[in-house]
Amino acid sequence: MPTMKPIYMDYAATTPVDDRVARVMCECMTRDGVFANPASSSHQPGRDARGRVETARRQVAGLLNASPTEIVWTSGATESDNLALKGVAHRHAARGRHIVTSRTEHKAVLDSCRQLENEGFEVSYLVPGTDGVITAERVAEAMREDTLLVSIMHVNNEIGIASDIADIGRLCHERKVLFHVDAAQSAGKLPLDVDAMGVDLMSVSAHKVYGPKGIGALYIRDQLGNRLEPLIHGGGHEWGMRSGTLATHQVVGMGEAFAIAGQEMEEEARRLAGLRRRLWDGIRGLGGVWLNGCPERRAAGILNVSFEGVEGESLLFALRELAVSSGSACTSASRESSYVLRALGRDDQLAQSSIRFSLGRYSTGEDVDRCVEIVTREVNRLRSLAPPAGGESARDQAI
Amino acid sequence: MENLNYSTLVRDRFERPPNAGRLLGDVIRGAAGEKSHGTRVEFDLRLRDGRVERARFRAYGCPHAIAAASWVAEQAEGRSLESDEWLDPLRLAEVLELPEYKLGVLLVVEDAFRDATSQACGS
Repeated sequence: MPTMKPIYMDYAATTPVDDRVARVMCECMTRDGVFANPASSSHQPGRDARGRVETARRQVAGLLNASPTEIVWTSGATESDNLALKGVAHRHAARGRHIVTSRTEHKAVLDSCRQLENEGFEVSYLVPGTDGVITAERVAEAMREDTLLVSIMHVNNEIGIASDIADIGRLCHERKVLFHVDAAQSAGKLPLDVDAMGVDLMSVSAHKVYGPKGIGALYIRDQLGNRLEPLIHGGGHEWGMRSGTLATHQVVGMGEAFAIAGQEMEEEARRLAGLRRRLWDGIRGLGGVWLNGCPERRAAGILNVSFEGVEGESLLFALRELAVSSGSACTSASRESSYVLRALGRDDQLAQSSIRFSLGRYSTGEDVDRCVEIVTREVNRLRSLAPPAGGESARDQAI
Repeated sequence: MENLNYSTLVRDRFERPPNAGRLLGDVIRGAAGEKSHGTRVEFDLRLRDGRVERARFRAYGCPHAIAAASWVAEQAEGRSLESDEWLDPLRLAEVLELPEYKLGVLLVVEDAFRDATSQACGS
């Protein structure tokens, strides 16, 4: 029975708050700090808070190569996705009622699309190629005269593969279709440039980038102006697009987290790529192991692997000395295989036995070596319990 | 992690099943399930005088499947093939503290065991 704290390898799910981020957040909470309402422009404490909020806005905009006035604070990437899709659809329905997205998007996009379908919009759901990538060609094939919006994620949260965002952006620009990108998994890990990528709306989140949970942002291209229908009405904050008193400590935390990510991204990506290679080299030695997704298009840190001959739920439980994610919903009643992995051509067994290892800022070589040891031990053990694929057991026990 | 809250018995059987493997020689074998559907269970039984002298299992499946197969193989030893009322999936679900949605797993374990014993009856 493992008693030690699990080795954290689920940075794609969330990250701990960086100590440097926590420090600036603490400056904005107590009575000695910058606690005032940033909307209270009638006094200095309020103006101080506003200053901190606007510094953070510049920091977030900086990482996306956007203008600060194009950043709207939200409660996270889920709200950003909702605001982008519903905000565009509700305000611009006269331009068209067709949306293009992919089946492998985050639930926040898929469920928003389902809601819009209930309201009479039509949505085309693209299937990724066998490498997991959504290409501009696939988007072009799905576009129609009345296409209003294309929404494609930058890096897939399950396998870490980046799609052809700049190509899709060019296509959307040519066809005068709005383009939304969920960049929750790529912000702070891959370089982002909303102009070079041709993006009109981009969702980002703080907690994937060593910032706090509960805060995110939506980039909205200037030309769109204030022309998104808000989800939340109230005091007209954030240019009327997202009302509600700003949580200064959350906002400055996100700003600091994005600033640090911008400074350290290049070196950190190199370090993580090295650790990920070390992990893959160790695990592949087991045999019967499949790397999910094209190796060349991967965001640093994510390694998704399927294991032949072991069942997903047992594998996840056997690996509980590691904090990792299962690539499928195999622990639920539905036993639903991951759509992403099925699209890559994995059969049911392999799709159900996938594990996502995601490394991050505090992962070490020692963690990786220990992880390889645990995975090797447990996969071998489970394989020895299982019936053989060809009729004969791998483990003979004569009594 | 709610789904990973297994009972102590399931944890023990999953971690250290005392009767995994196969029997060689004069044994009967039974199997049920498909790996592609998430569960595959096989039993080897050695019989003597109409009773199960030794039982071993192999299982591909969730921790509940492995634990259930191990428990059934253990309970079978010493029992007559004639009496099978002890092999009740609902009773087994209680013993292993299984969530209701996992009952299907126990049916695969039961089918595999009955497949083995049916071969004895047919021989």
